[in-house]
Amino acid sequence: MTRIEILNELKKVFAPYTANKEMLNRINDETDLIKDLKINSANLVDIIIDAEAKYNIEIDYDSADKIINVGTCIDLIIEKLNPNK
Amino acid sequence: MISTGNDIVSLNAINITRTKQYRFYSKILSTAEKRLYNGPEFATVPFENFVWLLWSIKESAYKYLKRARPDLVFIPGKFTVKQLLFPAGYTLANFEATEVESAGFDNNVALKGIITFGTDTLYSRSLMYRELMVSVVNDDENFENTYWGVKLIDKDYPEYQSMEVRKFLVSRLNKLFHSAILIIGKNNGEVPIIIKKNKELPIPISLSHHGQLIAYSFQLADLPSSILQISKNCF
Repeated sequence: MTRIEILNELKKVFAPYTANKEMLNRINDETDLIKDLKINSANLVDIIIDAEAKYNIEIDYDSADKIINVGTCIDLIIEKLNPNK
Repeated sequence: MISTGNDIVSLNAINITRTKQYRFYSKILSTAEKRLYNGPEFATVPFENFVWLLWSIKESAYKYLKRARPDLVFIPGKFTVKQLLFPAGYTLANFEATEVESAGFDNNVALKGIITFGTDTLYSRSLMYRELMVSVVNDDENFENTYWGVKLIDKDYPEYQSMEVRKFLVSRLNKLFHSAILIIGKNNGEVPIIIKKNKELPIPISLSHHGQLIAYSFQLADLPSSILQISKNCF
């Protein structure tokens, strides 16, 4: 999957947890999940679980600290989808 | 380090079905923490309250430490609740009030916790009701100089929550310090601060909102000298 494809998929993952739909439509690598999308920290676990289910990956404690902005989320998903690279 | 950290969780804003799923709560609780739930004091406490109580303690600890470590990222599994003590005769009750403010915690009501992150040990006080969990963390077991508040608001969108929790805190500070021109801002590490005449005041604050609930905490290292300091800054 390309970064653009993952970014577009992530919009669907984030959608239930943000009221800022305008910002959601124009997210980029720098978009911060909490500051920009106003996602409550209590929903970050939901996002991790939804992403795990969507991509059939496992995001452990040590990887979860990369769930900060859209770019680091995409990096993490690519890393988990391609563990041998 | 003088700091404070708080967090509030509204169960009305939580997916309770998901909370009970292993893959969800195992991202928040360690095996040792799950064992805490087997204690007799939790007999009447729903599992979702337990999960989000520990979350609120962990996030409060994260906020406490982030003041000195701006790059810290909140990973619940890296914070460990070592101990939770219930007041004698505790029973889970409804949150009947619309607004509560106090300094320190009533030992007959508050749950006392010990939480660690790496080599740091912190202490928590929590109030747990059927509908909400609110926690405050300090680096000392003495919470006498910890000021806190919880309030029910009528809307739950982020900008409104953010505005209301700031108004709530400023109102409390004004009552204490009789200064009408306090602004709540954020420092470079995104930690909330009190600003008076473009200067940050030396009172650590923490803000939290979830659903239709807002909460604050602030820590006065020593009340008389803090008031003196504020007074000097005000006039």
